[in-house]
Order: sequence, then C-alpha cells, then structure tokens
Amino acid sequence: MIYFFDGSKEAFLTAFLLAYRDGEALLTAGEKQLSIGQKSVFVRADPAMAAKCERRLLELDKRCMDDLSFLLRSGEGMRGQTAFLYLRLIAQRGRPVRGELAEDAVSEATECIRRIKLEAHRLKGFVRFLECASGALYAPVSPVNDVCDLLLPHFRGRLGHIPFVLHDVPRGKAAVWDGAHAFLAPLQHAEIVLSSDEAGWQALWRRYYNAVTLPSRARLKQMKGYMPVRYWKFLPEDPAAAIGDLPAADASANAGGASANAECAAGRALHAPSDAPSDAPSDTLPVKGRAPSPQAARDALPPPHGSPRPPAAPAHP
Amino acid sequence: MIAEEKLKILTESARYDVSCSSSGSGRKNEGGIGNGMPDGCCHSFTPDGRCVSLLKLLMSNDCIFDCKYCMSRRSHDVPRATATPEEICSLTVDFYKRNYIEGLFLSSAVHVSPDATMELLVRTVKLLRTKYRFHGYVHLKGIPNADPLLVSEGAKYADRMSYNLELPSERSLKLLAPQKSKESLLSPMLRLCRERALFQAEKRKGFFLPAGQTTQMIVGASPERDGCILRLTESLYRTAGLKRVYYSSYAPVVEDALLPSVPSPALREHRLYQADWLLRFYGFDVEELVDEGEDLPLDIDPKCAWALRNMHLFPVEVNRAPLEMLLRVPGIGARSAQKILSARRYTALTFDHLKKMRVVLKRARHFITANGQFCGEEHAPALRCLLAAGDAAEAADAPEQLSLFAAGEHTPVQLPLFAQDAARSARTGEL
Repeated sequence: MIYFFDGSKEAFLTAFLLAYRDGEALLTAGEKQLSIGQKSVFVRADPAMAAKCERRLLELDKRCMDDLSFLLRSGEGMRGQTAFLYLRLIAQRGRPVRGELAEDAVSEATECIRRIKLEAHRLKGFVRFLECASGALYAPVSPVNDVCDLLLPHFRGRLGHIPFVLHDVPRGKAAVWDGAHAFLAPLQHAEIVLSSDEAGWQALWRRYYNAVTLPSRARLKQMKGYMPVRYWKFLPEDPAAAIGDLPAADASANAGGASANAECAAGRALHAPSDAPSDAPSDTLPVKGRAPSPQAARDALPPPHGSPRPPAAPAHP
Repeated sequence: MIAEEKLKILTESARYDVSCSSSGSGRKNEGGIGNGMPDGCCHSFTPDGRCVSLLKLLMSNDCIFDCKYCMSRRSHDVPRATATPEEICSLTVDFYKRNYIEGLFLSSAVHVSPDATMELLVRTVKLLRTKYRFHGYVHLKGIPNADPLLVSEGAKYADRMSYNLELPSERSLKLLAPQKSKESLLSPMLRLCRERALFQAEKRKGFFLPAGQTTQMIVGASPERDGCILRLTESLYRTAGLKRVYYSSYAPVVEDALLPSVPSPALREHRLYQADWLLRFYGFDVEELVDEGEDLPLDIDPKCAWALRNMHLFPVEVNRAPLEMLLRVPGIGARSAQKILSARRYTALTFDHLKKMRVVLKRARHFITANGQFCGEEHAPALRCLLAAGDAAEAADAPEQLSLFAAGEHTPVQLPLFAQDAARSARTGEL
C-alpha cells in the first residue's frame, strides 16, 4: 500500500501509525506512479493520532523528532519513506538506533540529514542579498531541501536591526526578519525597488571576484565540487562568465559553464540595475529589475518595527 | 565608494596570499553589524578552486622593500595604489551586508616605513570596529620591524594576525628578501603568542586574537626540502601555537636571476598539506613521514608511503583496531574512523557494511580485514603501483588544500578525537 501525505509532520505521524504493520508500506509526500493493482491511500493529518505517535516515539528516543524535522525537509522523492523506515526501526528496537550505521534505514537517514545540514551550511555562504531603497535586504534562494527557515537565526544574528527576506522561490515561501520578529510567510512573487547604490556594489564585487582569481590555475572541477552549479543562479559575481574568461578552461568544464550561463540568465536579470529592463521572461522571476510601484515594494518587504502584520507561522526563536 | 581600478590593483596584489579562513572566532554582534562564525564560512569559489571567504586586500602596494619574488617589490614596474581607511571600511561593511564576504583580510606592502604602515592598518581596523561597529571577522597582517606596541594594539581589534615566514630558512630569506630576517618575523609571532596566553590566563575583558595566528611559506622558490619545511612547521605548531601553516607553490610573477623560471608543481604543495594534516590530526610525527634532507614522494600520498614502509603493522581488523590505528590506515579519514567506531558497537562489520556506510575502500581495502576477510593486494611492489595509479587520477585535479571533514584535533602526544570542543577544530582544519 502507498500512503500519500501532505509533507507535514502531523500527516506523516498519522500515516506512520497506519502503515506501521504493513510490510509493504511506502510513504511518500511526492508523486508516485502506481503500478496495476497497487493500492494507495491519501492520509489526512489526525492531530490526536499524531500526538499519540509522537509521545510514544519520544519515549523511545528523545531526539527522534529532531531527526524527523530534518528528514521531512528533504527535497528528495523518497523523504517520507526514509523517515518511515528509520522511525519504524526505533519502534521495533524500542530504543535509539542512531549510530547503527550498518543498518540500511539508519545509514540512509543519517546521510539524508547530513545532506540537508550541508545545504543549510552552504547557503549561509551562497545567499546574496539585494539592498532595497528602504534599506531592507532581499535574497532569492532556490534550495533543494526546505532549509530557508534554518537560515533565519544565522542572518538575524549578524544583520541585527536590518530587516531581511529570504525568499524560497520554488516553494513560494519566505523567511522574514522585520527587525523585531522572525516569521515564515507565503510569498509567490515579490517586486522590489533596488537602492541606487546596489548596481555599483555588485559591479565592485564582480571586479573583486575576477581580480582575486589566479588565471594561471584553472581548477574547475574543484570549484564546482565546493560550489555546485545549482547555486550559481543568484550569484552577482557570475562564476559562469568568469569561467568563460579563463584561457585554459577545459572542454568539459566549458560545456558545464555554457549550461550554467543559460541558467544564470534569470539570476543576472535579478541583479540588473533598477532602471534597466529585464531580459528574462517575467514568469521565471520572483523580482523584476524594473522599479515597481512603491506600494508593491512595501507589500513585498517586511513590515516596519511594531507592525501589526501577524506571523504566518512560527519560526525558530 | 572605492574606485574599481584601485580595488583591482589592491586585490591583484593580495591574491597570492593563501590564507582565507574565517574560523576560530565567536565574536558576538553587539548592536552593530556582523558576528563571528566559529566554523568559518566560504562565500564563493573562484575558477582556480580557491574559496572566497574574506575580502582580501592590500592597504597599499607601494612598497619600499625589494623582495625578489614579490610582484609589489620596489623595483617592479606595476601600477601603484593606496586606499584610505574609510574606503576599506565602507567596502567591507557593504560587501558584508550583502553576504558577499565573512570579513576583512587586510595586508599591506611596506608603505613609507614599517611603523607608518602598521599604524595605518591598526587605524583602519579600529575605525571598522568602533565607528562602523563591525563585529565580523578581521584578519590583520603583521608588518615586519613594526613597533611591538602597535602590533599589540592591532591584536586587540583583529580576530587573527599573521606574519608570513615567506621562506623556510634564514639563508633563503637573506638571498631573496634582504630587508626581512628570521628574527623580524619570528619574534613578533612569539611575542603575540605569549601576550595571548597571558590575556587568556588573566581572563581579561575584550579580545586578543581570538582566532590565533597563522603563517605562510613559499614552496619551490628556494632549495629547502620537504623534510626541512615540515620540521619547521612542526616546531611552529609546538612553540608558537600557530593555528595553521599555509604553503604557497612558487609561481614566477617577476623575473629575477635568483629565482627559478618555472613554477613549482602544485602537487608538491598538495603533498605538504597532506603531511601537515597528518601531523595535526592523525598522530604522526614528522620523523615518521620524511627525512630532513628528502622530499615527500609525489606519486603516492604521505600516509600511503608510511604504510608501505610499515607493512608489518597491516592488515588491521576494523572491528578491533584502536582509533589511533584506524586513523593510520590509508584512505580512512577522521570521519570514516568515527563511523566505524560507532557502527561496530552493534554488529561485526563486513566489507558490505563498510560500503554502505560510504567508507572509501579504494586504498583502505589493502590495509584492513573486515570480520576476518581481506580484499586487497598483499604483494608490496604491486600494491605501490596500484596506489600510485589510483592517486595519479586524483592528482590531476589536486586541490591546494584538503577539504572539510569531521572529527577532532590532537596534539602530537594525545588524540582526544571526540572531545566536544575538538569537533570544530577538525571541521575548520585548524588547531
């Protein structure tokens, strides 16, 4: 039996209870092609069942809900199943199984959590903020896993009083810090007015990036290993263009660079100066370079201090 | 805003400095902008495979010294520029705000005099910390022969300071950097080390180099062998309490009859970093790795070379071997050793288990048994060929520094590998 659930923790725990004794259970929050005769059920969250399940699991392993919260952030198709097999093993053994890496369920869950934490760590470096005319900062991101809110405490700590928005573009949600409150909010499309200096700072940054490169040493495989091409989309330094500038770039790397170039079109448009027309199709862009109305910009940005806008969802303290 | 051309000149002059780590400081944001990230953070990577973590700049490239290997040397005809403290501060804060960088790496050519240069650097960092209320990471270069009081003042505002040793012996320094001496580089390093220890012992308020000191040596510009370089490195870790020693492959950026005309192979630099890691994290002594008058082998990594010289110690059984021995198995790093230690508490590990746990067996299988089973090559000469062939493929893309990996720090005597505060050290690659 295939158990579809909506990706939430409550729905997962409900599905977990239903599927626990089903030897062929498959839990998924994504799409799954059914084979002929295969049965499936869409599980709705049942708060009572979920609470009971959570309580029991916590008795067996007090850290298992932390693991689950990471596993459900995974952008991989089998995220429900990885979490299911891992928690089922805890329930079967009646104790924590963390560290029993010879077990498939444990090693897969551990590896999945490692990848999610790695992406959150990488994004702490690869997020790029654009400064808006109001002084607030806006950063579009496109992570594989749902890690946007994990980044909130990090940036809140360092930016202090400066409001910022981390916009998870594919998921249509944003992690917001308004200078006093941190919250998550749905955000499909944002229009912002860039500050007058923004284009100048980006140009300086590009100049710095190109100047700090040692042209005699091309190590593109290493570069892409540390900074995978999927993160290049919103980088103002435009690594794909920098690769194109290298005299000794090897053929395979150039091929990668070319595809990255195409992918970067949307990102570059984002970094266009506020008076320049955007050259990318508007439906791919969360933000237009062209100056929108001040009201639209205000709507897209975090409210000022003490604003009555209620938090859409609790974020990390 | 600083002029683009000036930024280009000052960056191109600073780019041969290898150090770019931003780890080791837990400075808090006290009402301004920025904080320290103890594990460090890379913000971008350039096509040469190096990370961009800090805004690496020279305050000025207008130098009165005439070091033969340096592109900013007095007798070299290059465009010169000098930035103002305000320009550097505003650039740092605006780049930081946009999350381009983790902080500032400020160095300088010796402009006018050592004291004047050091004074300018200290003034800039003070301005950044006070007027701009910047609490992010600052790495400050020490200027040789500058007044010790100025240096100590800088250490109160910077997270890390470094004096570049440049060349591994006094003789080479005299030949290639006549205005610098071992004394002018080593003694401020040792003095800062003493002052930092005193600061920590007295638990004074404020900061004094929370991220310690590092240094850098050029490899291949002078005739010193790897054995000599690594002995110097080991003594620096022990006596000067350095966090890292960086190695920079010599690249001929200026022509001089005293300098080699060809660049030093990047692979040599890579082998030195591998040996450096073995000294700091794997419990090796330099005597075990290479003799003083010899170079490290280029065809295989230093750990493999050691294992081939000590085949009587292998194979080791992964289910029983102590941590210290697991760490000495070629191909098993700190993270894999930790995984094995954790998993073998519950079951007898086989090769299938190790594969599932993503322990890389390409090299390790020749040196281990798993539940009594051996899957490697026993014949030593054939094994060396196998290991060298495997390494050749990797070496084609040799990284200049090793990548991040989990686990712990050690002193040469003990290996408190899983001590809580040690995990950070291993993630950052620093003591």
